[in-house]
Amino acid sequence: MLNPLRSEQEAFRFLLYVAVVMAVIVGLVFLARAIW
Amino acid sequence: MEAAAHVEHHHGPPAPNVSSRVEAQFLGMLLFIISEVMLFGAFFTAYFFIRVVADGGWFPINDVDLPKAIAGVNTAILISSSFTMHWALEGARNENRNALRVGLLTTALLGLTFLTVQVNEYVHIGFAPHDHAQGTIFYGLTGLHGAHVFVGLTLLTFATIRAFRGHFTAKEHRGVEVPGIYWHFVDVMWIFVYSTVYLL
Repeated sequence: MLNPLRSEQEAFRFLLYVAVVMAVIVGLVFLARAIW
Repeated sequence: MEAAAHVEHHHGPPAPNVSSRVEAQFLGMLLFIISEVMLFGAFFTAYFFIRVVADGGWFPINDVDLPKAIAGVNTAILISSSFTMHWALEGARNENRNALRVGLLTTALLGLTFLTVQVNEYVHIGFAPHDHAQGTIFYGLTGLHGAHVFVGLTLLTFATIRAFRGHFTAKEHRGVEVPGIYWHFVDVMWIFVYSTVYLL
């Protein structure tokens, strides 16, 4: 399991995951606002 | 008699307890970051509360909007600094001293650029923390994050100076690894701040 506090490599990978997940969430919210 | 001899030969405090599988430095950073997550959580709670209950909704307020594009460029600068930080650590792991030094220096300069742009944003944004609740939480959240960038920059400065003095090897580079974890944490927090405060 990914533990961002175990090493810098895992923290960096966690950062990339967060960036992708937040981009998807923001995209979905914008899409929902455009539709409704 | 034997006990008296033992006392006579013992100097200083007792040896630290090393029974834990987690190294003390990493345990310290772990507890610190957990407390930081709770601190940011308190500020985010206030932010979401204001988003729900405050009159006038979120920005733009009185025709003043948040500078989303400039903050977006600033976000790219900060995320780039995580890549250079990772590059520096890879340099340390592979005994590539040049990559370590240039990576750390670039990370510090990118972090400094982020802070400079943030301060410039405060100067030109057009509202003060005491103007309305939305302004208070905007300055509160971004200021809290800015303070963390400043702390990260301080850690990076020490790591950079040590790197240029020839410290850190492939086996021993904790002095870069721990600031690296902290720096990525600060960047993760900014992704949450930028997404919620500026974009949503």
